[in-house]
Formats: sequence, C-alpha cells, structure tokens
Amino acid sequence: MKENKKALRVLAAVCVLFLSLIGYLTYFEVFLKESVVANPYNKRHWEYTNDKLRGSIYDRDGELLAYSEGKGAQQVRIYPYEGLYSHVIGYYSIIYGNSFLESAYQKELSGNTPLGNVTDIKNKLTGQDSYGYNLQLTIDHTLQKKAYELLKGRNGAIVAINPSTGEILAMADNPVFDTNESDLVENWSSLLESDDSPFLSRSIQGLYAPGSTYKIITAAAAIENGYEDYSFEDKGSVIIDGMTIKNFGSKSYGFLDISKAFALSSNTYFASLGVSLGERALKASAENFGLNKKLPFEISVTQSTFPYKNMSQTELAAAAIGQGQILATPLQMGMVASTIANGGIMMEPHLVKRITDINKNTLYSSSAKAFQTAISPETAEKISAMMVDAVESGTGKNAKISGISTAGKTGTAQNEKSGTDGGSEHAWFVGFAPADEPEIAVAVILEYDGSTGGSSAAPIAKSLMEFWLK
Amino acid sequence: MFEILSTVFKYIFIIIIYYFVYAIIRLIYLDISTTTHTGKKLSGKNPYLKLINRRETLNFRVDESYFLDEEKTLGRSNKNEICIKDPFLSGEHAAFLRNKDVWYVSDLGSKNGTYVNDEKIDATPYELTDGDTVHLGQLNFIFVDVREV
Amino acid sequence: MDSIYNVYKPFRMVMFFNVLAFTLMFLHEDKKDFITLAWGIGIILLIFGVYVLIKWRHWGDEYLFLISSMLVSIGLMMIYRLDPDIGKRQIVWFAGGASLFLLSYLIFNLMPMWNSKKLYYIYPAASFLLFTLTLAYGRRIGGAINWLSIAGINIQPLEVIKLLFIFFTASYYKHRESLKALSLKIKGNDFRIKSIYIYGVLSYIHMGFLVLQREWGGALLFFLIYFTLLYIFESNLKFMLANVFFAGAGSLGGILFLSHIQTRIDIWLNPWADISGKGYQITQSLFAIGSGGFFGTGIGLGSPELIPEVHTDFIFSAICEEMGIFGGTGVILLYLLLVYRGIKISLKINDIFYKALALGISIMIGFQTFIIIGGVVKMIPLTGITLPFISYGGSSLISSFIALGILQAISSGKSIQMEETHEGE
Repeated sequence: MKENKKALRVLAAVCVLFLSLIGYLTYFEVFLKESVVANPYNKRHWEYTNDKLRGSIYDRDGELLAYSEGKGAQQVRIYPYEGLYSHVIGYYSIIYGNSFLESAYQKELSGNTPLGNVTDIKNKLTGQDSYGYNLQLTIDHTLQKKAYELLKGRNGAIVAINPSTGEILAMADNPVFDTNESDLVENWSSLLESDDSPFLSRSIQGLYAPGSTYKIITAAAAIENGYEDYSFEDKGSVIIDGMTIKNFGSKSYGFLDISKAFALSSNTYFASLGVSLGERALKASAENFGLNKKLPFEISVTQSTFPYKNMSQTELAAAAIGQGQILATPLQMGMVASTIANGGIMMEPHLVKRITDINKNTLYSSSAKAFQTAISPETAEKISAMMVDAVESGTGKNAKISGISTAGKTGTAQNEKSGTDGGSEHAWFVGFAPADEPEIAVAVILEYDGSTGGSSAAPIAKSLMEFWLK
Repeated sequence: MFEILSTVFKYIFIIIIYYFVYAIIRLIYLDISTTTHTGKKLSGKNPYLKLINRRETLNFRVDESYFLDEEKTLGRSNKNEICIKDPFLSGEHAAFLRNKDVWYVSDLGSKNGTYVNDEKIDATPYELTDGDTVHLGQLNFIFVDVREV
Repeated sequence: MDSIYNVYKPFRMVMFFNVLAFTLMFLHEDKKDFITLAWGIGIILLIFGVYVLIKWRHWGDEYLFLISSMLVSIGLMMIYRLDPDIGKRQIVWFAGGASLFLLSYLIFNLMPMWNSKKLYYIYPAASFLLFTLTLAYGRRIGGAINWLSIAGINIQPLEVIKLLFIFFTASYYKHRESLKALSLKIKGNDFRIKSIYIYGVLSYIHMGFLVLQREWGGALLFFLIYFTLLYIFESNLKFMLANVFFAGAGSLGGILFLSHIQTRIDIWLNPWADISGKGYQITQSLFAIGSGGFFGTGIGLGSPELIPEVHTDFIFSAICEEMGIFGGTGVILLYLLLVYRGIKISLKINDIFYKALALGISIMIGFQTFIIIGGVVKMIPLTGITLPFISYGGSSLISSFIALGILQAISSGKSIQMEETHEGE
C-alpha cells in the first residue's frame, strides 16, 4: 500500500528529528555546557554559595581584608578597607556579580570544590555549618596602604614584587571605588559613566608606552648580542630615516658609552643602538622579558605587546626607547625590574599565598616558580650596575635612599595626549633595592602626569622601598 | 536527609524510565520479528493454527500461524516441532495428530491443560474442525481448515 | 487468560515511579503534609483503574495509555515539586483528562458519524469561529493572543482547533470530491476548481489566523501536519511543490518583514546579546539544562524555578536540570514510542478517514514535542507551545487525552471494518 510506505517514511523522519534532539542535547552537555553555566547571569552560582558562609581573605600577616557576615541568602560581604583592594580582591555582589580574586577563587571561597562537597555532606549529617575556604594573600596591607597614599589621588598604579619569589607585595592603583554592596548600588551608574575608568585595574589591565624604562630591555639586548661597547656621539637629536629623535629637553651629552647613555637616558644613543641591533634581537629580548606572552597570574593580566613585524628603521629606533607601538602593563615593567634583581630569572608573579579551611588546615600553599630565564646572570649584573648608576648620578637621583644602594630607571613616556607639547606624558619609575641583595622591586606609573619620571615617580618609589626596608 | 534520598532516587528514576522504554521496545521487537515469519503464505493446502492473541501482549516469540503439514507436538521444550516459550505451557503440552485427512489434538498430560472450544480435553485425540478454538497456556488459536473436502 | 506475570512489567514501572515520586514530594515539603501522599495514591489508583479497564475490556492498544501515563507521571512530579498547589490542580486536570480519554473512546466508537459528509464543513467552520472569537475577545499572554475566557474558565482554543483541523483533513481525504461540488455551486459552472486547492486554501486560512495571533509555533505545527498528510495521501506532485514554494515564500516574507519573527531568530542566533532582556528565557533554560549534567541534580535539588514559565513551555528544561540529560533523553524516547504506536495503528487501517485521523494525531504529538523541545534547548528558534502530557495546563492535557482516546478507539477497531493488512494481500 502506497500510503503505508509513505507513513513509514514519515515515521523515519520523526525518528531522525528526535534522535537529532538527543544528539544536540548530548553535544550541548559535552561541548557547550561549561561556558554556558559559567556565565555570571546564571543565578545558580548564588543559590549554591548561599548554603555556606563565604571564606575570608587575609593579607600576608593575617590582616582581615574581606569577610562575610550573616547566614544563607542573607550573607553580606564586607570590605573593611572599602576601595583599597577594589582591583585586587574586587567585589562580590548579588546584583553585579564578582570580579578579580572574588571571581577567580569563586569555587574555593564558596567551598564548591570536590573536597568541599564531601565535607559538606558530612557537615549536613552532623548538623554543622559549612564554610568556604579562606585565602591568604602575598600582599602586605601596610605596604598596600602606603602605596595608595603615595599616589595622593593621582591616576596611576604601583606594583611591588618580591624579586626572588614573585610574590606581589602591593598592587595599588587609583581611581578605586568602594566595593561594599551598598556603596556599589549607590555609585554603580556614576562609576559606569565616569571618564576615569574606575573599573580598570591599571596595574594589570592598563597598557602604557613604557618610555625610557624600556631601555633596560634594549640594553639587555645589546649586551647579550655583543653591542656592549657600542659608542655614539650624542648631539641632542638624531635623524633616522627622516624622523628626528630628541633627548629630553634636547640636551646633548657628547660621546657616550652604554652605561653613561643609560644613566642619562639618552634617546639618541639608544635609538641608533636599536637600529644597529635590528628587529630580531629587539624582539627576542622583548619576548624574553615576557612581552607578547600570557603572564601566569591568578587574575587575568592584559598581555603586554611588542607588535612589530618587518620593522622599518624608524620603528626600530622608536621601539628601542620604549615608544612607538610597544605597550606594557605596570605589572609587566615591575617584573622586568624584578628579573634584573633576581639575576635574570623571571619568577611567576602570584597573589595567593595559601588557601586554608575553617580549621586552619592548609589546602594549598604557593611556592616560588620560575617563569622563564630572560638573560644571563652576568648580563643581569651589568644592567643592575647601570641602574644603580642611574640612581646615583643619572636621571633617577630622586630615588636614592640614604644608606641603601638603589637601582632604578626612569621613564617619561609620550602618549596619544602628549603630541603637541601638551605636557601629559606618563611618568615612570622601575627599580629595586637593596641593589646587592634585592628584597623589593617596584614599578610606579603616574598616567598623563606631564612631569618626568625622575621628578614625580622616582620619589614615590623611594618612599615605598624605604618603607618596606625599614 | 532529603538531599541524600533525592540523589539516590534520581538514578532510580532514570533506571525506571529506561527500563520502561526497554520493556516496550522489547515487546515491539518481538512483534516485528515474528511478523517476518509469516512468509509462508496460506496458499498451501494444509490446515493451520491461527493465533488470536494480540501478539504484542505476549512477552515471548510466537508466530501468527503454524501450519499443520505433518504431525506436530507443541510445548515449551525445544524438542517440539512447535516450540513456544510461554511459561504457562508444559515442556510437552499437546500433540496434533492426523488420520487420513482428519486432524486431532491430544493433551500430553500438561499442567494447565488444553481446551478446545472451552472444553478441557485429555489424552484422547479430539477431532478438530474448521473454526475450533484451541487454548493452551496463554495462547488462543483458531484451527483453520480451508481444504476442499 | 492474560499474562499477569509478563505484560504487567512496564505497567509496574509506572506504578513504582509514582510511589517513589510522591514519597519524595512528601519529604520535600517543609511541613510534611500527608495530603501529598493521598494525592499520590489517587494518581496510582487512577492510572491503575484506566489501565485495567483497557486490558480487561480489550479496548485496543494498551501502550498508548501506558506511555502517556508515564509521561504524565514525570510531568506531575516536576510540577508538584515546583509548586504543590499547581501540582494538585494538574492532578485534577489529569483525572479530567483520563475521564475524557475514556469518554472520547466510547463516544467515538458509539457514534460512527465523524466521517459523514454533513460534519465535513462543520470542522473548518467551527475552527474559524473559535479563531474569530479568540481574536475578538482573547487575552494576550506573553506575546500571543491565545486565551479565551468562557464562563470564567480560561481555555486555549488552539488545543481544540488542532483536533478540528485533523478531523477536517481526514474528512477531506475521505470525500475529496464533495468539496468540489461545493465549489461549483459557489463559482458557477464556468469554473472547475480542483478540490485540493480549496482544501489547501482552507488549511492556509487556519495558519493565517495563527499568524495573526502571533502563535508562530502553532502555525508551524499546522503546516507540518498539513504537509505531512498531503505527502502521504496526495499523489499530485505539482501541488506538493507549489506548497513547498508557497510555504518557503511565506516564511521568507515573515523573516524579512515581520519584526517579531526577526526578533525570534536574532534571539535564537545569539541569546547572549540581550541576556537580561529578550534572551532571558532561553538563556535561563540553557543554564538549567547545563547545570543538570548527565544525571541531574536530583529532584528538588536544582533551581528550575529560576526559568520563567517553567511549568508550561519550559518544563523540559526543568526535567533536564533535575533528572539530567539521561532523563531528558528518556522523555524523548517515550514520545518516540508513542508516535511509533500511533503510526503502527494507522498502518493496519484501510479506511482513509481513520487512517488519516490516526496519522494526524500521531504526528501532531511528534511535531509538537519536537518544536518545543528543540526550542528550549536552542536547536531551533523558540516558539511557545506546550509539551503534550507533561506541560501544566488543563486545555493542553485534556485535548491531548481526547486525541489519545480517539487513537485508542481507532486501535480497538470497533467502529471500523478493520482488515488485517498483512493477510490476504
């Protein structure tokens, strides 16, 4: 019968439709689900965490930086230092979701780990309350507070690192905002509209031209590629392929070797050195110092870039003095200083020192891990000496700490706003102390500050390092 | 308490649903696989036993019709010419016998008995005529004899 | 003597499922309410009663009710878990549905006049009347005008019209020529319009009304039923191609010029773009399905209440969250079995009316299931339509059971001269 044959075909078609539904469901489950469920709009995260009291966050000495109060769905997250950690710990809000460490350690803080779920069932059976895990940070609260005060309300960022371990000791920036829920609700719309980008964590998400601080990397390239003895007559300005490159204030310094050029931050010397070094050496050196690479870090760091291919002579010259298209985060430049301090080995930066449960049992403890070797120890030693000179007798005099030998490099970076002598260059300083046995490396940037790194950023770095060492 | 119970139950629910699906598919499969066995059409001159039960209600394989071209025994054991795995049948349940052109059925001492037209029969061969119903175990057959006498 | 031992196995599963489900529901409530257990016992007795009646009275195919009662049980558990009050109402609807299932079985068998030529024009006329009333007095809920309030009771006319349309279609294939006679009277002797065109136009009017109501899912469902039956019963290939072309042009026009359809497609392609607005429902549904994993969170342990309209259109997402992908797949397989049984029944029937009716009802269940499940898992654009037997709602449940009762009546063969097609041919 013709109709029956067709009806069976229809049945086959229905089978195909239904099996494709099953297939799609399985595909969804296996491949798509993870990213879907992680969406911050999925309110189930809140439902789940409501069961347990969220874990607290402490600084390296046990100072309480964030904690939760209340029970179940009535929990309130409290940040006693208001906005001081808005770009480190971030916020945890039922309305706005969570950010930075609150987001990155959501599972641990809410106790939603495989182990947590097991103890959870045990607690439910015994009628005990369940808690999330606590975080202990590498941050030193007093240093963090000092760093924030040193910014004096100016927009910018300060990163302080322990060079031998990669521990972040302070990561302060400005502007910040109060992360307590009630204040978030009150200020949310004005924060969104603000031109100052208060949500941006300048330390790890702000990309800036590194300016003369980049000469550390160029100098490293020169030493490692046999240009250590390069000398050049500085006439205050040099024309490379039609583009004029001037020293700051158009000063001329006469005949220079690399050490002197570094201390005086001679643009003409480094520009022509960059042209001689060529693309391959510059780029290799940049990548050895972690540019163009994803930094391993608990919270996501914007990648610093050395974006060139087939560079022209003017591009080589601009790159060698940290201008042009090179962009770096303050954390990245802090890591560069810390690498020199650590004998050429770049350590993995990290913020979380330890994860503990409510009974103070340690579930995780961080250890010092090398990220990569940037340069040889000999090169590091030579650059370290050059950086000490720069503070002793060069542009970084304002960073000099009495009784402690300090290494550093200033930078005054031109940017999109400073095209026409507008006086809005970024002021940079990177350095470390004590130079022979480094305990702290810092990067300071004051964005669109208009003054030189030596006059405004160096004193901040000095105060901070001094504070830490005493 | 509820959480633990519900976590256990979720697996049971899934097992129930799938077992249910499996049980129904199995019955449907039995239905289809036996349909293909009716290939031998009724063109022959032999009488046959036609099943009246809805086959999909039976949980074992059974054909739509059984031809009586020679003497046959019926039962659950494989030794029978007509072997049906109905748990209500005895191993050797009944025999279909022929004397010239006349067919007889006799009970082989089965546990649940053999009925012809709702009458219980014994070992004495009972003559079958066209349209008689034969009931054994869960099975209901009609004896169909369309031969020109 | 029927096999008590064997045949009851799938039936026992349904019983067992309900026993467990209502034990769990009882424990789920904060204040343990024994009424819940009483409702559970009520359901078990109801399913038992109907099933035994079908078995003992030999009322045709027993799987139809068995499979659908399993589906209803799953749905009831989910609805009861979401809101016990709504769950109890749904149990009452189920009791009503089961009674109407038996009633429609009896009426359909006792009164074999459903295929008479007189009723033939009544079906579309009744449909159009209901459509007009809906458009005139209907209430708009969630974008579509699809509710009609009659004497204080809200009904969804679409659920009735679906059946009327299938009856109309079945009648048409039974008496093709009488529709031509009608056309001759109206158009005069000069015109000879083929009956199939009149049938086609009347069918498209149905869909036109649904488009006016913005019942996109309903319009799609009607087209699929219309076209599938056309494929099975009509041998005029040219007419079929014309339909494909017409439908293609219609849907293209809809996509290009109707902003509502464009919105639906935009949401389907990227629901994340407007996650708190237009894409809210579907993204919440996806969160739920994703959270369940393969085995689900367990009944009462997930958060399906976060999905809007979870009782009705999105009940499948709730099932996936708490019973997992395996539970969801099980539900899909149950529908597949139901459709298979329906089509199987239709194969044995020679009478065109009953054959088309059985096929129409089976594919209606099949396509409706596909449209809504495909929608909530974001495989196809989402169009609001209920999941037969599972979604909450009196109109939907009762019309599904009436349709099932008719299918049951056809399977019993008591009103039809049913011939065993595998014999004698």
